[in-house]
Amino acid sequence: MPTTALTYPLLAALSAVLLPFIGFLLSAALGKHVRNGAISISAISLSLLAACYAFAQVWNQAPVHIQWHWFTIGEQAFHVGLLLDNIAVLMLVLVCVIALPVHIYSAAYMKGDPGIHRYWTYLSLFCFAMLGLVVADNLLLMYICWELVGFASYLLIGFWFTRDSAVQANKKAFIVNRIGDIGFLIGIGIVYSHLGTLDTGTLISTPETLPAPWLTVAGLAFFLGAMAKSAQFPLHVWLPDAMEGPTSVSSLIHAATMVAAGVFLLARLFPVFNETVLLVIATTGAVTAFVAAYFALTQYDIKKILAFSTISQLGFMMVGIGIGMYPVALFHLVTHAFFKCLLFLCAGAIIHEMQHVKETHALDIDPQDIRNMGGLRKHMPLTFATMLIASLALAGFPFTGGYLSKDALLVHTFEWAALQSGAAKLIPYVLVIVSMLTSFYILRLLANVFFGSLSNPLAKNKTHIHEAPMTMLIPMLFFAGCSLFPLFSVNPLNDGHVWLMQGLTTTVSTLPPLRLLHLVIPLLTTGVTGIVAVIIWHWYVNGKYPLKTNGLLYRLSQHQGYLDVLYNVAIVRPIVRLSHLLLWVDYHVVDGTVNGLAALGRSLAATAAWIDQRLVDGLVRLVGKIAWGLGHIFRRLQTGGVQRYFATLFLVILVILLYHIVVLL
Amino acid sequence: MIPLTHFLVVGACLFAIGLYAVLARRNAILVLVGIELMINAAILNLVAFGRYDKTMYGGQVFALFAIVLAAAAVAVALAIILNVYKFYRSVNPEDIKNLKD
Amino acid sequence: MNITALVFYVFATLAIGSALLLVSMRNIARSLFLFFIVLFSVAGLYVFALADFVAITQILVYVGGVLILMLFAFMLSNKELLNDLQIGTSHFFALPTWQSLVIAVSFLAILVYTSLQLGADEPGWIAASREAGTVLTPTDQTIQHIGVQIMTRYLLPFEIVSVLLMMALIGAAHLTRKEATS
Repeated sequence: MPTTALTYPLLAALSAVLLPFIGFLLSAALGKHVRNGAISISAISLSLLAACYAFAQVWNQAPVHIQWHWFTIGEQAFHVGLLLDNIAVLMLVLVCVIALPVHIYSAAYMKGDPGIHRYWTYLSLFCFAMLGLVVADNLLLMYICWELVGFASYLLIGFWFTRDSAVQANKKAFIVNRIGDIGFLIGIGIVYSHLGTLDTGTLISTPETLPAPWLTVAGLAFFLGAMAKSAQFPLHVWLPDAMEGPTSVSSLIHAATMVAAGVFLLARLFPVFNETVLLVIATTGAVTAFVAAYFALTQYDIKKILAFSTISQLGFMMVGIGIGMYPVALFHLVTHAFFKCLLFLCAGAIIHEMQHVKETHALDIDPQDIRNMGGLRKHMPLTFATMLIASLALAGFPFTGGYLSKDALLVHTFEWAALQSGAAKLIPYVLVIVSMLTSFYILRLLANVFFGSLSNPLAKNKTHIHEAPMTMLIPMLFFAGCSLFPLFSVNPLNDGHVWLMQGLTTTVSTLPPLRLLHLVIPLLTTGVTGIVAVIIWHWYVNGKYPLKTNGLLYRLSQHQGYLDVLYNVAIVRPIVRLSHLLLWVDYHVVDGTVNGLAALGRSLAATAAWIDQRLVDGLVRLVGKIAWGLGHIFRRLQTGGVQRYFATLFLVILVILLYHIVVLL
Repeated sequence: MIPLTHFLVVGACLFAIGLYAVLARRNAILVLVGIELMINAAILNLVAFGRYDKTMYGGQVFALFAIVLAAAAVAVALAIILNVYKFYRSVNPEDIKNLKD
Repeated sequence: MNITALVFYVFATLAIGSALLLVSMRNIARSLFLFFIVLFSVAGLYVFALADFVAITQILVYVGGVLILMLFAFMLSNKELLNDLQIGTSHFFALPTWQSLVIAVSFLAILVYTSLQLGADEPGWIAASREAGTVLTPTDQTIQHIGVQIMTRYLLPFEIVSVLLMMALIGAAHLTRKEATS
């Protein structure tokens, strides 16, 4: 039941949402005068405090809901309001906790950039939109925040808009997200037409009001929206290109929060999805995880490896939703947020240093290419340490938070698959293979970056690579601490005691447990990670790489499955050609019609003018001419010649006489 | 004696000839002559019919008057012609066609 | 036919012929003399119409007055006028303009036709006077009767004619007097 009184938790949540918005407005108003991020950082810190308060008040308590009337169209009323339940306050705190360190990190990372005032403005906008998204209580408000988040992402990807690649990337991101938004809108439409309201609470509690086929369609539609936002296959193509933005942006938006919005949406609307839709979600997630991990194997750009890693992990989360265990998915979301954000921050520090190396020695290298890096362990020890922790969390090594979430996910997937039939049974095995691939690519990254030596001989000798500055290090250390197990569970090895999942699991049906798997799966994954580490050491550190680099599989992976090329040829070019055709139609047919009508009008006018000049005027002049002609004829009567007069006179008399003679006699 | 029609026919001929002279000749004197011929034809007519009027002698009396009037007309006409010639330097009726300024 | 008719025809022919010559001649002087002949012939015709006084008056007034006046005016004018009057256009015989010829001929036709019609069926009053015996005979004393009629019945027209003559006289005299140099 929505309350009408603003209780403290609601007030806290509201202020948490609005404080970054105020920060955005202030930064936008001050424009170029914003140099340091004081406004944005203070706004997000206050938001964090408010969010923590709201969390403390609402976690594991009764959900709090408030609603205000917004506008009415005809007889339909639309509301705006806040819904605070476990999921909402969890996400609220998560977003603030991730955002604040990233803000602090950005202050150092983006120092000296000429457009930094825009950066703080957009960052505040994003925080506002994301926080609004998680506490929105109806689909319309959620959609608005969804769009805003996408828009902030667009602005931040194209932050260095003078670079053509950045502009293409942010266009791509926006357009692909648009495809997903169609799905979201279709879902909203179906819900509204059947339910009469867009309130999520109503929707969740009574999903059966939608008839069966429409329920499936609505579920698929919402999933389409989540697919684009959370970069599922085949709509994932925007995320690798989104790495054109600053690394701090990548860490906040494209690793931890925005891409998680899709998963959040599915978790929020979980009761709406029926069996068919969940199966589709699980399958898509599994395919995404595998394909992304496969692509990550051969990438050279450090940020692209991490981008594909994100896509892969998002696939995991989707599987978590698909098997019906959305608490597991959300748990993985939280742990992933921490360690992926950390991975990006470390990558940012490394890139920062490589950029420094490039400038000092005037080298023509790509600072993000891992083939140019090596041996940075000696120069950047803390960065190495934090990145190692994050990598282990990604790989699912014990004692990390990532181990708990991945383990839970794998086990539950096996439990689910046991109840399924057909190809669905393969999904857990796919996930296991993906875990192995995950270990491979992340350890490959570590080996190439931190071990061995710098490939460029020039840089090797006179290099001055030093550790990242304090402002960057402290957030990284903070995230490293959060990636370890103590944050989530007292027991490092058993996921049954994770307080987070316990808080969320109350409303979900549990699958029959397979106790044995809780032992087998961790052993399997840890063992494989160890073997992989050895292989990596052998191949990359010792330099004995045996495989060919131009085989078909290698190239398929490196060029990201040629999906970009496929999309370009199959979709982009026909659409561009269609738009050219429409332009032609517009110019020649539409404008032609208009011009034709104009020409017709002109010719009609010319005809009318001709008629007016020749016929009408001619008629008038004809009258004049007739008068003149007659006058000219009759003028000759008045010659002044007397004899002419006489003649006329006698002629008339003659006629009269003739008349008298002929007629009257 | 002479039937009436003979006189009438002769008169008609003279009249036609006089009419022709009035219409077609380019000399004012001849126009005057033509007029005289016409008057003479008319007088002949009068006289021809006057033969049957013994009581009042109307035809012959008026013939006399007509002769007198014709004479007067000639006198005045000649005076006019001479005056016109002084101004126009020509006796061609076709040249005398300007209205008084 | 008897001698009367013959003489009549001679006079008629003379009149008409002279008139024809008169209108077709170029030389004005000769035309005037032909006019003289016409007038005489017509006077002769008057005699045949038993209007002897009118005939004499014709000769006296017309021939002796009008014609002489014309001749005098013609002959005694200044040289330029004489030359102009004499010369006319270049041809000896003027070409008849066809319109006036047509009109003249049409008039002739109509008048002849009417005259013949008149001859065919006489007007009533002529028949009545013939019966009443008031047709002029050659042995009548026309002069006396004319004089009586003028003084009694036709007195008013007589006086008016004399006034008119006086007007004409004064008018002609005024028109032809020499202008004072102005």
